[in-house]
Amino acid sequence: MAITAKINVKDNDISAAIREFFISVLDTEDVSAILIPQHLPMKKMLMPTLVTDPQKLETADPLAPCFPMNAARLVSRLTRKPIGGKILVVLRPCEIRAFYELVKLNQGTMDELIIAGVDCLGAYKNSDYLRFLKQHGDKATEIFYQNALNGKTEITEGIDISPACKSCENPIPEGADILIGLLGADISNHLMIQAQSPKGEAVLKRLNLSEAEEPSSRKEAVSALISKRSSYRDEIFLKTHEATDTLDKLNNYLANCVNCYNCRVACPVCYCKECVFVTDVFNHEPYQYIKWAKRKGMIKMPADTVFYHLTRMAHISAACVGCGQCSNACPNDIPLAELFRMVAWQTQKAFDYTAGKSLDEKPPLSVFREDEFQEIVGIK
Amino acid sequence: MDKNGRAMVVGAGIAGIRAALELAETGHKVLLIDKSPHIGGILSQLDYQFPSDHCGMCRMLPMIDRDDSSQYCLRKGLFHENIEILLSTEIISIDGEPGNFSITLRRKSDWVDSQRCIGCGICVSVCPVDVSDEFNEGLSYRKAIYLPVPHAVPSPYTIDAKACTRCGACEAICPTHAISMSSQERKQFRILVVDDEMIVRSSLMEILDTEGYSAEMAESGQKALEKLAQQPYQLMLTDIKMPGMDGVELLQKAKSLYPDLPVVMMTAYATVETAVEAMKIGALEYLIKPFDTEAIIDKVFKVYEKFELVHARKEEVGAVILTGGTAFFDPKQDKNTYYYGLLPNVMTSLEFERIFSGTGPTQGNLVRLSDGKPIRKIAWLQCVGSRDIQINADFCSSVCCMFSIKEARIVKEKSNGSIETVLFYMDMRTDGKSFQRYRDQAESLHGIRFERAKVHSIAPDADAGDLMLRYTDISGKLHEETADMVVLAVGQRPSSAAKLAESVGIGLNSWGFVQTSPFSPSKTNRPGIFIGGSFSGLKDISESVIQASAAAFNASKTIQRATCNVQRAKTDAPLLQKPPRILVAVCVCGNKNPLLRGAGVCQELVKEWMSDPAVIVAEFTDQICSEQGEKSLAELVGKHKPDQVLIAACLPYVYGKRRRELSQRIGIDPLLTEVVDISSLSDSEMIRCAVGMGIEKLRRMEDLPIETLPVKQKALVVGGGIAGMTAALGIADHGFEVDLVEQGEKLGGNLLWLNSSIEGYSMQTLLEETLPKVEKHPLIHVHTQTRVVSSYGQAGDFITTIESKETGVQTIGHGVSILAVGGTEAIPTAYGYGKSSNIVTQKELEEKLRNKTLDPLKLGTVVMIQCVGSREEPRNYCSRVCCPTSLKHALYLKEQNPDIDIYVLYRDMMSCGFAEAYYTQARKSGVIFIQYDPSNKPEVKISGNEVRVIADEPIIGKKIEIAADLLVLAAGIVPNLSNSLTHAFGVSSDQDGFFQEADSKWRPTDSMTEGIFACGLAHSPRSVSESVATAEAAAQRALRILTKNQLSAGRVTAKVHHSLCSLCERCIEACPYEARMIDPEEEKVMVNPARCQGCGSCATVCPNGASYIQGFSRQQMLAVIDAAFI
Repeated sequence: MAITAKINVKDNDISAAIREFFISVLDTEDVSAILIPQHLPMKKMLMPTLVTDPQKLETADPLAPCFPMNAARLVSRLTRKPIGGKILVVLRPCEIRAFYELVKLNQGTMDELIIAGVDCLGAYKNSDYLRFLKQHGDKATEIFYQNALNGKTEITEGIDISPACKSCENPIPEGADILIGLLGADISNHLMIQAQSPKGEAVLKRLNLSEAEEPSSRKEAVSALISKRSSYRDEIFLKTHEATDTLDKLNNYLANCVNCYNCRVACPVCYCKECVFVTDVFNHEPYQYIKWAKRKGMIKMPADTVFYHLTRMAHISAACVGCGQCSNACPNDIPLAELFRMVAWQTQKAFDYTAGKSLDEKPPLSVFREDEFQEIVGIK
Repeated sequence: MDKNGRAMVVGAGIAGIRAALELAETGHKVLLIDKSPHIGGILSQLDYQFPSDHCGMCRMLPMIDRDDSSQYCLRKGLFHENIEILLSTEIISIDGEPGNFSITLRRKSDWVDSQRCIGCGICVSVCPVDVSDEFNEGLSYRKAIYLPVPHAVPSPYTIDAKACTRCGACEAICPTHAISMSSQERKQFRILVVDDEMIVRSSLMEILDTEGYSAEMAESGQKALEKLAQQPYQLMLTDIKMPGMDGVELLQKAKSLYPDLPVVMMTAYATVETAVEAMKIGALEYLIKPFDTEAIIDKVFKVYEKFELVHARKEEVGAVILTGGTAFFDPKQDKNTYYYGLLPNVMTSLEFERIFSGTGPTQGNLVRLSDGKPIRKIAWLQCVGSRDIQINADFCSSVCCMFSIKEARIVKEKSNGSIETVLFYMDMRTDGKSFQRYRDQAESLHGIRFERAKVHSIAPDADAGDLMLRYTDISGKLHEETADMVVLAVGQRPSSAAKLAESVGIGLNSWGFVQTSPFSPSKTNRPGIFIGGSFSGLKDISESVIQASAAAFNASKTIQRATCNVQRAKTDAPLLQKPPRILVAVCVCGNKNPLLRGAGVCQELVKEWMSDPAVIVAEFTDQICSEQGEKSLAELVGKHKPDQVLIAACLPYVYGKRRRELSQRIGIDPLLTEVVDISSLSDSEMIRCAVGMGIEKLRRMEDLPIETLPVKQKALVVGGGIAGMTAALGIADHGFEVDLVEQGEKLGGNLLWLNSSIEGYSMQTLLEETLPKVEKHPLIHVHTQTRVVSSYGQAGDFITTIESKETGVQTIGHGVSILAVGGTEAIPTAYGYGKSSNIVTQKELEEKLRNKTLDPLKLGTVVMIQCVGSREEPRNYCSRVCCPTSLKHALYLKEQNPDIDIYVLYRDMMSCGFAEAYYTQARKSGVIFIQYDPSNKPEVKISGNEVRVIADEPIIGKKIEIAADLLVLAAGIVPNLSNSLTHAFGVSSDQDGFFQEADSKWRPTDSMTEGIFACGLAHSPRSVSESVATAEAAAQRALRILTKNQLSAGRVTAKVHHSLCSLCERCIEACPYEARMIDPEEEKVMVNPARCQGCGSCATVCPNGASYIQGFSRQQMLAVIDAAFI
């Protein structure tokens, strides 16, 4: 049975409590480094940091309602080859799921990795978070949870967690070795900590934590949150479908795209070494543009923007974990997360697959089933 | 004596095609002939095949050197560099000896020039003749000009000379002048009509004239002789009663002067006797007055046909393979208690196959032809014309059980289970790999009813069109049941080609089927002539294919080792860097293409194409398919010197050799000529698109270098039983070294204990003949008491480690591996086995009889139980040999001691094919056969030395108890293919531990990994002779690789842009040919070009095009797609 324990919270400072916890982990020397979000000294912005010295964990804030990037890609870089020592990474559930996808695509390994995951109550867009941080200072994280655990995420007017987070029905870090639980816990007093794998158990055993029961209200809190998010998700899908169900509407939806490819860079499961859109394939010959223009009288430049998004959709929709970083990265506020999430949801449903759920479930394109989609391939 | 490297294959059904391809792939030239106007044989009529219920014929196409051959649907057509196909061709004679046969062929003249015919089908619309369509088994009509097979491409129309009235309508309308009706030909056929009555003469003249013949008249015998003296005639029709010289006298005189002249007597009814007399002295036929016009036309045509057909052609070949196929029983013969041909909804299995075919008379809709009503219930009657002593058919036709189950399953699937299906059968013969499970599923999953009963008659039911079946069940109880359709599973009959076989000295069995050698079913009594497929008895596809490969193997052995590696003409590598210079030639198809009429359209299109800097010239031209058109295209090329040529024309170019021929003629690599089909397009915009797509494809066509891999021309054979020894010998006889590895102390496998075959041939002799050949062969290295430790590599280049106690560990380099590790008898766990010395297995009995430790004279009662642990999970397969073995033992015991009571307790007697006769013989000699159901198995009671068997006897409906002196258990076969062995070779085994074929029907001895093959019992349960056939087939498959010193990949193969590759290895998982692997040292995904078949799965799963197919670059394909959108 999994070990469940408590981290005590003093003075309502959950950030400090969790910092203490990771310092103690690093102190055991069982892990050689921790990847954890931390406020950078200059700008206060939150960024993932790789820490080996426990003393350098002083501004770590893994619960902050922000993730400037999906750290799955960083973990992939850290684990593609043996690094000679265990590392612990602190990730949000969507980061864990994205990393699982990357592991299945041979872009990372679990061997030397311990994953700590936190209950996710959502995150702000990078720019929103900076404003939120400015307003609430050191107490930002604490204030966020005091409200969010009661269902309120729009604490500062006009700043709310992203639509991707609002519609995320996977707020629990199921794939983590160590779970840090907020839901159902009295965070003024303690956080819940739970080992979800032998690896996690080994870490917790060394720490002499006081064992505890899982908070009795946790299950209820989790299911309430999931049901709220699921119904929001369904609403979003309806709206997005309505806004994109013809090619014209889709063109319109994506009209602001300038081909900056930020969404692709931000996407944790876009794993190609070099994207096909920066290769010569789309470096058309000059006459081609004229030909296209002649055909319609006018074409939007840069060309291939819709095609770019469709291609990305084709490539990642089986692996999309709905983290929303594409929207976060878009300089022109295209609601990409909603669109990609909707398509991904349908794709994954069609293949009876859930991205990031399990390492044993093979990606749909790696599995051949003779009898699938008979109505499409014309067998029936 | 000059050995001739060519082979001839007679019959282009699947066995013929297989044999031809096998030989072609080992570098032999092959002449493949068929008397029908199409290839594919009976399979061209069957859309669905067990077990996948799809086709899959294309899986026979070459996978090595695949650019030598067509690579599209084999039902549509075939070409291979080394195969010449002659259709509508028959053999007249075969003379000579192995290595040097001289063959005379007769080819029907072709009125439709297949080089010119574009398959437009306009001719069909004007043909006034309707005749019954043999492709649809006579269930529909066709015209005299028709497509023999509707799916063939290019669609070569042909004229049924017999039905054709020579009206000339098709000739006049043909847009490409492909039809040249031989009115001239018929005019050359001169007929002399001799009659004293003017009216007879002139009416006959009129008929013959209309038919296009040259007819002349003579009013008396004397005049006739004068005419005959003036010029040659091909036929004389003469009256008998004439004043002066009568017809008989004229006949005598004419025959003495012109012995070859066919003469037909015309006679009134009264003088028929005279006419018959006349035939004795040389008249060909007689006609009775008053004339029936049809009869005259028919008789004359028969003579004319012979005259016309003699376009004899001589061919020299080294070996001959006869794949003459089979014919089917006609249920109209005999007593016809099923009213076949009289009741419209009683049809044969072949006819029914056309009913659910999309190209059949109902377009695949399951409705009755008689009234168009949807079918509600179908009954299949098995063994119609088989297993019937009364009509001299004491044989089983082997395939009908599975054929009917397949039909019933397809009916269930097509109707979503709504059509009721029932099979009436005697024994369900599911004696092949996976057959039993297929049958079980038919019953449990699809709800098909299996009724063990013989339907004795069918009568029309009260309801219009419905049928009343009367049958008795096994207990003798009478039943009646209605169905609205009955399908007769008609049995085999010798094909018409059996006569040919007989005429060239090949022996036939007592039912007229070709007799093959005891232990090599592709050999005949005439050396150099081999048999493949169903010609020696009906076979399912996989057995046909195995035997065809075996025949090819023996033919190849006869004509010596092929050393030639087919040389491909080297072409100058096109340069990517050079800007493209494309010539566009658009065929206006004899101005028949309405879209290209009117100069305006053409000019506009030309202008647009020419505005593309890549197009140097665009022109409209005519009939590129004709000699003249080809010439003018060549001129255009000569004038403009393009680097690429785009031809917009009709379908034929897309297929077949013609594109290559044309490319050779105009001197441009076929790779740089592209043909787009514009014949089926409906507006000029679409032509613009199609041509635009072609331009884009050519613009970006890259050079496609062909990769080669060196071949270690040595073989490894694992297993020294009869299969392993046969394979090793066969390969060594072709001049290649073989390492033969055997785990045991001695070679011989199961031959070491087997006595004789059911036919009485001695296994001992077979072993004694084979063993020294293997042991003394200079090219065979035998390693006994040796096992395989590991093996890795790829086709043409394997390294295997073997280990023996004596010589230790050794590594062998070789190009192919053949797994022939055999099988053994299963150990029974039921019926008291092991608890009494009187309970033995079949093998133990065989051994006891062989070493004479059992005296038949001391036996009073013997019980045999069949299917012990077989045909039920977990060993749910038929072991194929146990029923014949029990028959063999029963007959032997009865022969030794006629007083023994023998009881055989069976589920379904699997005496398939000609083994059926032994079943009959056993019953005649008094062996009692008792059927049991697996849900109610016999019981065995042992007390002391006494063994008692208790079983339900279904005929009398009572339990019986038999005190047995000996109980023989038919335990079946289990394979010796261990996990460690399949692991070592990287091949898979099936659910039951037998070798998993790449494709059970079309590649039965191949593994999914090229270069590794299997045969014998490791492959599937089979008899010794069937094992030999698989061994020969596997050896032939191996020779495809061994005969080459290097393997060439296809031009279209997969590649990797390593700089783009993220090493996600999705492509490796997606590759169905195991052609991809990761090189851990280089950290790169590598492609084995010889294994790669260019299917494109890897390119599809790769997101950024790191994996790609040479010849289909992304830029190119995107541009082609883009051009498709206007």
